[in-house]
Amino acid sequence: MSIIGDVFTELFAMFLADAWLSLATLLLVAIVSGLVVGLQIEPLLAGGVLLLGCLGILVATASREARCWPRR
Amino acid sequence: MDLTPWSIAAPAVGSAFLASLVEVVEAFTIVLAVGTLQGWRPAAFGTVAALGVLGVSIGVLGPLLGLVPLHLLQLVIGVLLLLFGMGWLRKAILRSAGIIPLHDEDAIFASEATQLGKAAGRQHQSLGWIAGLTAFKAVLLEGLEVVFIVIAVGTGRGLLWPASLGALAACIVILAIGVAIHRPLARVPENTLKFGVGTMLSAFGVFWTGEGLGIAWPGQDLALAVFAVLFLAVGLATASVLRRPVMEVLQ
Repeated sequence: MSIIGDVFTELFAMFLADAWLSLATLLLVAIVSGLVVGLQIEPLLAGGVLLLGCLGILVATASREARCWPRR
Repeated sequence: MDLTPWSIAAPAVGSAFLASLVEVVEAFTIVLAVGTLQGWRPAAFGTVAALGVLGVSIGVLGPLLGLVPLHLLQLVIGVLLLLFGMGWLRKAILRSAGIIPLHDEDAIFASEATQLGKAAGRQHQSLGWIAGLTAFKAVLLEGLEVVFIVIAVGTGRGLLWPASLGALAACIVILAIGVAIHRPLARVPENTLKFGVGTMLSAFGVFWTGEGLGIAWPGQDLALAVFAVLFLAVGLATASVLRRPVMEVLQ
């Protein structure tokens, strides 16, 4: 019974349980950061991209999982 | 006296309370299995030890995070909340749609009891130790998520204590109910709670990430409520679209 190992596994699963969701979210935040800091677009517009992007990622990853499930 | 507005304090404390309810129910099932099968002494010892470790984690990490520049802290916590909250919400959508099975506390209790029974057959000498360690691990692992949520929703606006009290209140509620009925809390609407908490944490995630990037949300803290409503509506709509016919789920 490796408690330390289990703690790290739990921490990993907390934030990276679904690789697609994690990857897409991190990519979205990087894009929004680029829009705000690099291109200096209107911050509120960048906020809209962030919000709608998160909602889109949620729908896309749930739908993807639903499609994949019968094949498991 | 600096009073935090209810528009931000209530979601923070509420999220900590509801998320803790979910996690404490899961930990309680395993502690109950240990207590019922191997006695309450190792169960209580393991539980108290794990709660001590978790309490120290909050006590050490909370003030340390106060040293990090606010915008950087908001960005990091915001991104972590997005990953964690949307993960919970995605899973709640899939459970609500019947794609993946609901959490079954009775089945977990039976599985844990079987494992402890097997351990009892193998090692008579160290059984109390194994039972205590099982309770310790269950409370520690489930509590990690509570610690993260308390720190994440509490740090940005100095709500660490109120959020901690929200989590503690959840522990007391579950313990009181558990002691009264003395069986796994299988009737707690866990997925509904998870849906609600996932919604709130995702809303917090967008809010903090935006603030960390220098975005001034219109309506300030009230924007949180709008984000939460949007996440809830999209989550419910997605679950509804993905919901399968009953026969297909049973197959």
